Amino acid sequence: MPMVLLECDKDIPERQKHIYLKAPNEDTREFLPIANAATIPGTLSERGCAFCGAKLVIGGVLKDTIQMIHGPLGCAYDTWHTKRYPTDNGHFNMKYVWSTDMKESHVVFGGEKRLEQSMHEAFDEMPDIKRMIVYTTCPTALIGDDIKAVAKKVMKERPDVDVFTVECPGFSGVSQSKGHHVLNIGWINEKVETMEKEITSEYTMNFIGDFNIQGDTQLLQTYWDRLGIQVVAHFTGNGTYDDLRCMHQAQLNVVNCARSSGYIANELKKRYGIPRLDIDSWGFSYMAEGIRKICAFFGIEEKGEALIAEEYAKWKPKLDWYKERLQGKKMAIWTGGPRLWHWTKSVEDDLGIQVVAMSSKFGHEEDFEKVIARGKEGTYYIDDGNELEFFEIIDLVKPDVIFTGPRVGELVKKLHIPYVNGHGYHNGPYMGFEGFVNLARDTYNAVHNPLRHLAAVDIRDSSQTTPVIVRGAA
Amino acid sequence: MSQSRLDDLFDYTEERCLWQFFSRTWDREENIEGVLGQVARLLTGQEPLRGTPQERLFYADALAMANDVRERFPWASQINHEEIHFLIDGLKSRLVDTVITRSTNRELNHHLY
Repeated sequence: MPMVLLECDKDIPERQKHIYLKAPNEDTREFLPIANAATIPGTLSERGCAFCGAKLVIGGVLKDTIQMIHGPLGCAYDTWHTKRYPTDNGHFNMKYVWSTDMKESHVVFGGEKRLEQSMHEAFDEMPDIKRMIVYTTCPTALIGDDIKAVAKKVMKERPDVDVFTVECPGFSGVSQSKGHHVLNIGWINEKVETMEKEITSEYTMNFIGDFNIQGDTQLLQTYWDRLGIQVVAHFTGNGTYDDLRCMHQAQLNVVNCARSSGYIANELKKRYGIPRLDIDSWGFSYMAEGIRKICAFFGIEEKGEALIAEEYAKWKPKLDWYKERLQGKKMAIWTGGPRLWHWTKSVEDDLGIQVVAMSSKFGHEEDFEKVIARGKEGTYYIDDGNELEFFEIIDLVKPDVIFTGPRVGELVKKLHIPYVNGHGYHNGPYMGFEGFVNLARDTYNAVHNPLRHLAAVDIRDSSQTTPVIVRGAA
Repeated sequence: MSQSRLDDLFDYTEERCLWQFFSRTWDREENIEGVLGQVARLLTGQEPLRGTPQERLFYADALAMANDVRERFPWASQINHEEIHFLIDGLKSRLVDTVITRSTNRELNHHLY
């Protein structure tokens, strides 16, 4: 089966290179969607901007760092609170948002003074916070504000603070992915090995590409604590600025989100010889495999087996309850990139769900190699999907549930198809053993939600009857 | 027979092994050679190499694969060492062809990460 030209794309035939329907005896040598390419004019992309990739995805997760956004207010508001990454210090990162609030006069006369003033003001207002990331945005990049020079000046005047700058305006890349890259490479170049922390275990690792979505990192941290493994730095779930400066001290880099954070793992391997282990943290089988691999690396296999046995005893019966009731349900996954390949086999193996369509906003061709290798035949693989394509794909595959973000989620709710928040989750965490039971519960509740049937009923039409929905209780 | 066993191994690797899909050609070559070399040692009863951090990582990936292969494919415990090496060499060639030589991933040979 060649690449697919959907009916809605007949006027933008270039989209055919981005949509693949997997057929028997084919592989990615013949058919690989083009990805990480500029959005085609005429398509209404669901993508975010490069600045968003740096701030919302990675930097904004840190629990002890002021995120100073040098730009108009909207750049700050639109990358704040749309992802739920709590912290163990009272959710500092989610309580506050910082912006230089650039207006027309600042654009005309330059915004460096305003940035400097805002940085001092933020540090003065929050005297306990000594770390800051400054982001440039589209207008401040266009007028050439030198945020690195301002950061140096502020650090000179305040010797107890440390500031990192991210020069990644929204227009600098084709999607969020550019922002991930800029922050990763900037951090390894400027901040890693600028601090040493106390090493308290003979087993040390960095956990890279976890963002503590609804507590993912904190749940997995209970595993590492039980195994006696010290996590030097979390990049960046529930993480601190200074821990990330110590990443060179770890013996192993464990990577979950290879798309947003694989760059720093590659550089840590190249520069410091720290090996990179990629794992999947979602799903029972994958999580167990990841723990086994980490423990094999450190030579503590027995501890790993004991932990897995304990977790399976506690959570597997609950997972199986949901699996019995979700068997054969059809799911679409329309998220950023990596969750396509992280989830397609885990929901299939652990929950009996069939993934029928997957769309990636910012995945690269590497992500499509992974997901097509893992995914089923008869499934659609879409790069940078747009709304009309989503409608057409829904008609073709008829999913029972869609994992996607709130904006697309609202769209599919109008069609009375339930969605589960695939970015920020409904009721996470979703990682780890307990987390995957949460994902199963949310999927079950979405698929069997009586409200969506009721929403389709118009009581003014006497021929319609209210559906009777019977659900089991866990 | 060997072809169907090679298909089994290839399908398993596609489904489970992220190490084949690292960012660049040289990463993929290193992982295919390193992990599958350790898998061959484990399946033929040789002591795996664990002298360096990278060897320990290859061992960790290989141990998971070797255990899965023994569990999923009953033929794995019935074949001799010569056939194991033959199959692993065949798998290496097929992976190199799929994820390196004939991959259309446009980022594979970029000199920077």
